[in-house]
Amino acid sequence: MNVKKELLELIRRRIVVLDGAAGTLLQQLGLPQGMSPELWCMEHPEIIQSIHSGYQKAGADIVYTCTFGANRLKLKHYKARQVKKLNMNLSLLARKAAGEGAYVAGDIGPTGHFVKPFGSLAFEEAVDIYKEQVKGLLAGKADIFAIETMMDIQEARAALLAVKELTDAFVMVTMTFEKDGRTLNGTDPVSALITLQSLGADAVGCNCSTGPLAMRKIIASMKPYAKVPLVAKPNAGMPRLSGNKTSFEMGPGQFAACARRLVTAGANMIGGCCGTSPEHIKALKKTLQGRRPLPPERASVCALSSARKTVIIKKDGPLIVIGERINPTGKKELQRELLGNKMSLVKQMAKDQEGEGALALDVNVGVAGINEEKALKKAVEELSVATELPLCIDSSDSRSVEAALRAYPGRALINSISADKEKLKKLLPLARKYGAMFILLPLSGSSVPETARQRIKIIRAVFKQASAAGFTKYDFIIDALAMSIAYNPDAAKEALKTISWCRRQFRCNTVLGLSNISFGMPARKELNSAFLSLARSRGLTAAIANTARLKASYSKAAERVLMNRGKGALKKLTALATKSRSPAPQPAGKGLSPVQKISRAAIEGNKEDMGAYLKEALRAGVPALTIANESIIPAIKKVGDLFEKKEYFLPQLIASAETTKKALHYLEPFLKEQKGGRPKRAIVVLGTVKGDIHDIGKNIVSLMLKNHGFQVIDLGKDVSAEKIVNAAAQHRSSIVGLSALMTTTMIHMKDVIALARKRKLRVKFIVGGAAVTQQYAKSIGAAYGKDGVEAVRMARKLTEKKTS
Amino acid sequence: MKNTVFFDTIPILATKDQVYRRLGFREAKTVVSARQAREIERYMQKAARLVSLKGAASTVAFRKEQDSRIVFSKKILFESRQLAMFLERCEGMLLFAATAGKEIMEAVKRSSKGKDVTEAVVLDAVASETVDAALDWIMGYFNRQLLRENRRLTRNRFSAGYGDFLLENQKKIYDILTLKRLGIAITPECILVPEKSVTAIAGIRGMTDERKKRTA
Repeated sequence: MNVKKELLELIRRRIVVLDGAAGTLLQQLGLPQGMSPELWCMEHPEIIQSIHSGYQKAGADIVYTCTFGANRLKLKHYKARQVKKLNMNLSLLARKAAGEGAYVAGDIGPTGHFVKPFGSLAFEEAVDIYKEQVKGLLAGKADIFAIETMMDIQEARAALLAVKELTDAFVMVTMTFEKDGRTLNGTDPVSALITLQSLGADAVGCNCSTGPLAMRKIIASMKPYAKVPLVAKPNAGMPRLSGNKTSFEMGPGQFAACARRLVTAGANMIGGCCGTSPEHIKALKKTLQGRRPLPPERASVCALSSARKTVIIKKDGPLIVIGERINPTGKKELQRELLGNKMSLVKQMAKDQEGEGALALDVNVGVAGINEEKALKKAVEELSVATELPLCIDSSDSRSVEAALRAYPGRALINSISADKEKLKKLLPLARKYGAMFILLPLSGSSVPETARQRIKIIRAVFKQASAAGFTKYDFIIDALAMSIAYNPDAAKEALKTISWCRRQFRCNTVLGLSNISFGMPARKELNSAFLSLARSRGLTAAIANTARLKASYSKAAERVLMNRGKGALKKLTALATKSRSPAPQPAGKGLSPVQKISRAAIEGNKEDMGAYLKEALRAGVPALTIANESIIPAIKKVGDLFEKKEYFLPQLIASAETTKKALHYLEPFLKEQKGGRPKRAIVVLGTVKGDIHDIGKNIVSLMLKNHGFQVIDLGKDVSAEKIVNAAAQHRSSIVGLSALMTTTMIHMKDVIALARKRKLRVKFIVGGAAVTQQYAKSIGAAYGKDGVEAVRMARKLTEKKTS
Repeated sequence: MKNTVFFDTIPILATKDQVYRRLGFREAKTVVSARQAREIERYMQKAARLVSLKGAASTVAFRKEQDSRIVFSKKILFESRQLAMFLERCEGMLLFAATAGKEIMEAVKRSSKGKDVTEAVVLDAVASETVDAALDWIMGYFNRQLLRENRRLTRNRFSAGYGDFLLENQKKIYDILTLKRLGIAITPECILVPEKSVTAIAGIRGMTDERKKRTA
């Protein structure tokens, strides 16, 4: 029996015990800080061998080689180049120390760089780096492989592919999760599991991260979807840092007692990470003796994943809507972008469809003259970052499909594989290698099978071949073929029959290209909507559709009520109905006089309704000056007070200022007609000083000053002293307002003031900005405005003084 | 620098609480109506779509000379007494940077020029808080690796422009981290563009293991 079979048999019978930490033990035994553990172990082989044999004697079934950082990128830091030799020798040391009593796992850790699309390390380069390490470990007689402490799912995939492309040895992959239950890079445990087990990991799990209690939750969340054994290698509790000293909270007894819960959560292989020792593993072994492992719950999972999300496809679940818009057919702008190697529109389409309720996205970049392989790979990389949704790779070119699948940090769906011999030959192995699901298209040859009976025959034939290649019915979705009823009036009936057969007899999930059914017909929206209802009632699982149109015709809540699914369904539907039937929200000012409404809108910052209220007031004969003096000006003052008392915060202050600005602008022509109008205050020149590009604060002050009647000359940002002083002289301004964000730029305020004094300008200065203080303002002979409200008050004070 | 690690996507966003606090919200005092809350929420969602958070970091081994010189590869890298004090007992340092990207700052610019200043202040606050959170995220990433080597980063970070550590040093950090790759530019005054781009320094310290002490 080979090692893989032996190990799988062992996992079936009992909990397999893994070793504990090496790093923390090496530090205790003299590893200097900042030194490579791998290189130090080669200088002190007896120390690492004592650690390996210590774990083996403690009861570990598997010991890890001390090669966690023995990859090209990490070793380069220590100027070590012989990667293969080092891995081989370290593996041989472990082999010798473990003897026949334990398996040796070639340990593979992160490179310290994030892999594309999440970082700068090219995916193929990462695979190559790991292959170099794997070759060394194989030469050193490692029995199995342990890829561990991965934070980046793409890096874990690269390492896994490196192992799989060199050997069929047993390989386990463990990720490390943060307190929020995700990896630092945002991958949740279930998505990591779906992606890695589909790609061929023989065991998946979690290491480092936390102590055994918190890790229990991670293992429990994976278990319902695991088709492989689960691995847990927790720390000895959390590290505690006190001053410069660190320690782990759990001793061997407590660690072992807590680890029992990992078994009930579903872990099949358990060991220790940071802070654990042979004593911890000895206690663990003793505790786990006689405990029955929970076997993996499934042989297969019908699920798609991205780096940050999993979509489980199940017969009673919600309709899986696959957004169809990323397809250049008939879309000239998208064609232009793709041919120009641009992806902004593709990303925007993804975001739009995600917002409209899509659960996955179809990606097709087929345009005449395009390098499809390159374009599809790029689209997949960019979309992996732009959206959380899993992707459906839509191409008939096998090279493009492979490029996309290799680059995709999740479990994708291939659209599609038909009975065509060439397609089966090329695409089935790709789906197998990369663990992708596929859409089974019941087509054979060039003609479309018209009847359900013909389609069923093809489905059976394709399934036979897929089954022989190791696929189950959970690994694909059947396209029931929606053809236009304009050309075949029975097309809908035959598609529905196919769906019924798939659900009731074949027991497999189905998908439809929904809008095809109404092609060339009038009332397409109504036809599509009715067809979707009929198809769902026959058991349709997924639809490739235009999410914007589907949103209007498909209600998840209504469907759940009709099918009696879930207790909260009726409540949700009632809420939906109330919302859609309720009249448009009443304006906030119902029952108030026109002037009161304006005042209220100004205080609330209600820009939308202000125009209507002003018209209403003017129609009712209220003079514009009365509106300004009795409604708007008091509102401005009140909002300033609310802001000062902290009852309002900045967005409320600004929204109100913008609303009053809009109101005053509207009233301006009416005010001019009236005698006197609104009094104009002094001229203020505003600018952000030279070298500083941060001007949002200055823009707020400008808005506030204008609302208080000041005439503002806004010079913008990064303005020289010369330009500011010239403007002040030219406009005969009473005040100059200067802003700066940083200590390094605020010093230029002094230059402006000095230049103005030199030119003998009778102008006053107000300064403000994040780094500016009252004390600094005083030191340069300026007034201080800590925010917009304060700046207005100061401007009024300075100009009133001048008048008096 | 060859060992610079680039993070082309940092998958985090500032929380609503962080953004509200930055904008002056006070728990028991500030009252926000449902309509105002909806409007702010809409802007925050827009910000989430526009932020494109990236980062870069590099570890540097250094030695100190004359209380104020930070020497790397036989050259004086930085000269600052306060930075040297900050790096007391450190055997290395982490130079790092993060940016919220160009798109959100262009939206802030468009909105703040009178189109919708309320939107601009919310977008600006989200970008600021998110970049700050990104620096914490990068430190978390390195701390996780350093923990295995019995080392850790200093809790606080230092930046060019603090005390006697002149802003001109930002150009050196910019060059070492090759921040151009992240779409960041630097002005002659050493200000990073787009605006919500920041650099920082954290020290790397060794940890004395408590158990080791006990065993001894």
